[in-house]
Amino acid sequence: MQIKVSVNGKEHISDVVPMMSLASYLREVLLLTGTHIGCDTSSCGACTITLDGKAVKSCTILAVQADGSEITTIEGLAKNGEMHPLQSAFKENHGLQCGFCTPGMIMTASGLLDENPNPSEDEIRHGLEGNFCRCTGYHNIVKSIQHAAESMK
Amino acid sequence: MSNYIGKSIKRREDNRFITGKGKYTDDLVLTGMTHLAFVRSPYAHAKIKNINTKAALAHPGVVAIYTGDDCGNFGVPCGWQVNFKNGDTMKEPPHPLLAVGKARHVGENVAAVIAETLQAARDAVELVEVDYDELPTVTDAKAAIQPGAPQVHDDVPNNIVFDFQIGNPKDEVNAAIESASHVTKLNFKNQRLSPNAIEPRSYIADYDVNADKYTLYTSTQNPHLIRLLMCAFVLGLPEHKVRVISHDVGGGFGSKIYHYTEEALVTWVSKQIGRPVKWTSDRSEAFLTDAHGRDHVTTAEMGFDDNGKIVAFRVHSEANLGAYLSTFSTACPTYLHGTLAQGCYTTPLINVDITAVFTNTTPVDAYRGAGRPEMTYILEHLMDTAALEMKRDPVELRRINFIPAFDGVNQPGYQTQVALQYDSGNYHATLDRALEMLDYKQFRKDQEESRTNGKLLGIGFSTYIEACGIAPSAVVGSLGARAGLYESGHVRVQPTGKVSVFTGSHSHGQGHETSYAQFVADTLGIPIDDVDIIHGDTNEVAFGMGTYGSRSLAVGGSAIMKSLDKIIEKGAKIAAHKLEAAEADLEFAEGKWTVKGTDKSITFGDVSLTAYVPHDYPAGLEPGLDFSSFYDPTNFTYPFGTHIAVVEVDKDTGKVSLKRFIACDDVGNVINPMIVDGQIHGGVAQGVGQALLEGVVYDENGQMITGSYMDYAMPRADDLPFFETDRKVTPCPHNPLGVKGAGEAGTIGATPAVANAVMDAISHLGIKDIQMPITPERVWRAMNS
Amino acid sequence: MIVQGRYRILASATDVWIHLMDPEVLKKVTPGISELMPLGDDKYKATSKIKIGPVNGSFEGQLELIEKIENKTATIVVNQTSKIGNVSAEIKMHLEAIENTTEIVYQGEAKLSGKLAMMGQRIIGGVITSLSKQFFESLNKEIINS
Repeated sequence: MQIKVSVNGKEHISDVVPMMSLASYLREVLLLTGTHIGCDTSSCGACTITLDGKAVKSCTILAVQADGSEITTIEGLAKNGEMHPLQSAFKENHGLQCGFCTPGMIMTASGLLDENPNPSEDEIRHGLEGNFCRCTGYHNIVKSIQHAAESMK
Repeated sequence: MSNYIGKSIKRREDNRFITGKGKYTDDLVLTGMTHLAFVRSPYAHAKIKNINTKAALAHPGVVAIYTGDDCGNFGVPCGWQVNFKNGDTMKEPPHPLLAVGKARHVGENVAAVIAETLQAARDAVELVEVDYDELPTVTDAKAAIQPGAPQVHDDVPNNIVFDFQIGNPKDEVNAAIESASHVTKLNFKNQRLSPNAIEPRSYIADYDVNADKYTLYTSTQNPHLIRLLMCAFVLGLPEHKVRVISHDVGGGFGSKIYHYTEEALVTWVSKQIGRPVKWTSDRSEAFLTDAHGRDHVTTAEMGFDDNGKIVAFRVHSEANLGAYLSTFSTACPTYLHGTLAQGCYTTPLINVDITAVFTNTTPVDAYRGAGRPEMTYILEHLMDTAALEMKRDPVELRRINFIPAFDGVNQPGYQTQVALQYDSGNYHATLDRALEMLDYKQFRKDQEESRTNGKLLGIGFSTYIEACGIAPSAVVGSLGARAGLYESGHVRVQPTGKVSVFTGSHSHGQGHETSYAQFVADTLGIPIDDVDIIHGDTNEVAFGMGTYGSRSLAVGGSAIMKSLDKIIEKGAKIAAHKLEAAEADLEFAEGKWTVKGTDKSITFGDVSLTAYVPHDYPAGLEPGLDFSSFYDPTNFTYPFGTHIAVVEVDKDTGKVSLKRFIACDDVGNVINPMIVDGQIHGGVAQGVGQALLEGVVYDENGQMITGSYMDYAMPRADDLPFFETDRKVTPCPHNPLGVKGAGEAGTIGATPAVANAVMDAISHLGIKDIQMPITPERVWRAMNS
Repeated sequence: MIVQGRYRILASATDVWIHLMDPEVLKKVTPGISELMPLGDDKYKATSKIKIGPVNGSFEGQLELIEKIENKTATIVVNQTSKIGNVSAEIKMHLEAIENTTEIVYQGEAKLSGKLAMMGQRIIGGVITSLSKQFFESLNKEIINS
């Protein structure tokens, strides 16, 4: 099936098999390997991207369902060579260790801050419920998001 | 002068991770690459009567299918030999790459299907017909050693791998416990855990027929060890023709130390088909086949005299090792476990007795802490329980039993009853600081109040010690390790004074690229941007034993320090020649050699250039500035600390909320405080996971019923508070950086602190103990029975 | 896993027995079943499609009736395999005439393996209960309408 998607501001027209997940499409067809796959049950959040502005898990969306939509992946977050405030905040606050969950965390956080630019600690923690990190104990991830929220004001 | 050491330098590796440019194994695509999918046993124990691959082979895109008949003579070895008490060698049945004759746990590899696409491989897996004869199963270690229990391996009577004992003679310990004025006795279950690195394991093998060379890309914590084991013990390949590359690895926590059957299999397959082949685990496979951790069933007793002094401690456990021996499985319940039974107490008599057992379950091996969290839970949970029973304050009970402070320089190390000699320690110091952070008096007041409003507050302590920085090769060799445990560190100074450092320590989240560069830059007095850290490729790095047991900086860092010493020593010869001075009159500081008492000096960069353009050069001195060293530690290192958990138990639902977590750790000198704090945070989270949430469960047929993230509960962001951390510093006296290691401390310390806090909250209701994970259901049942 | 329950059918034990032993009826009333082919000796080849929460699969295998005592008792032995795992079950049914109705009491054990056991165990108890209810309700309807 043919799909037309805009990924990180660039249009792509691709032929995909109907059962291909959006995560696999991004990784295997567009070679955007920053979107990671950590589970098969949309529980870990490593594959989170934004689809028409909403943070979603791309492992449980089919590529064909994304036809006609606008997608941002971790690779498209920086603009004009400038890191997104979330990216800088994650580095500044040691919000990552092995880096595998990081793209999903940052994309989830970007969806979270879009909806709620002033989240409390509790709101951030609840907002991250769908994302596993096994390295940081979430301490510095929550801090990173708090700092990013502050700097985006 | 320190420009970098001790500072929270931001991590240089982060740039690639936050932009999605990390390079994990599954991100790689090789030309002509095929995909491998496994047929896995749906039964915990079954005879394989027949495998019919005809329909699967005919499936479009299928390249080849292999079964145990094709490669069953290849098996992965165990890396540590532990003998029976009577001296007999441990039982070590073969661990084939694909099951031969019998499958012994759910998920065991039965056949490998290779196809042009992953989808074709997976579809063809469904077409492989395996005729099984189901056999009775046993998953519990205690049940497995009973007479008449199902036999996992035919030639291992009662499923006993070995029995093991460490400490003082048993009769002396028994006598002391019998005559103690108080004995606290508990049964423990250190439940089985799944490590769950978020990156699933992934392997790509690429055999080059023209050069007769293999390249294996693997998500491992120790590429050289994998190459050594695979070449020398599994496939019999020439080691110099095998390159193992481990780029970015998405977490390990122990589970990526081991040489897995899948890893050797893809390498073998690549040669058979003459094409690259990739296998990436999915999460279900990860639950079934990544080595698990813990799974000990224990009875332990601690005897006290009238003054609260411990007179004796004895532990008896069955350790479940699963269906096969994983690489370091045998070391975990023995030398990494029994040796921790001293804790930070002066206990004069200790006996630890372990029986290691095969069952029809996934192999068990080291998971963050490896044997030490199990012992620390036993020890520290007994301490808080004893305090409750004897109506003593848990803090005071610890203080009267602490080993007094010793720095290992002016005072000697502390000889334990269980083989180890602690290097340095000051246990009161971390306890004092943690109590200060807590405000203990105020807490007890709050606790009284909480009991009147349906929320039960509790506090738990854990004054842990651990042994890491593994380890002196001669010592571990005498204890059965089949490898040395040194590390290599190679420093190559380039002609322009830029420095490439090659280390055998692999980094998969620990930030070596930053913290190693910090001490290298400081030692040479050059800008940190002039230093590059290279790891994870056997063609670049001389050798390495890898990253586990909190050993990277203590062992790998020390190896680099040795090479830096050699560079400074040789540099001094060149500098003396250029400055026309005696070597003895020079001092090296801030990146230059200066003739003492003068302003005559030469920079590190000029010396480097001279070494490579040796026109005006000391006679007889070799050109170049490039040294490789191996460092074999003289002892383990012994970090310690105090962890305090404050929990609130909901009287109506039994839900435990972690309100505060205070950690004051002493990990020796610290190169990068930000990274060390991060290690503690992550370690604590995993320790909390064991206490409250996690546990692998098998049903009565050996089926794993916690095989997905819907059933296996790991800590999520809203399960945890911000952690309150601080540090004390007692340097390690026996390595050049004075560092001890921080990777596992959090996990080792946290679990008992949390479990103790729950008991402190509810013991006044007459509840004696609750096994982990302490779920709301278990608490509710205990409160309502 | 223990499977047990009871169900009251508004017909005589003889009626219930006749219907239970009729493959055409069984095919109609068993949820998810698409094929039931007699192999002789009370053995059938059975094909079914079942969706249990997140677990969804096509099953193939045998169904056998053993230990039959007419109008009183029979044991169903099921062995089904699928891509998502295998099911084997042995369930004993007792028919008890109570006035004009029949109470069916059933008890047995089901064993699951593979993904089905891994992912489905948590919810399958409830699913079996609801599938059994569906089965007997349909059987009841079938008998009343016949």
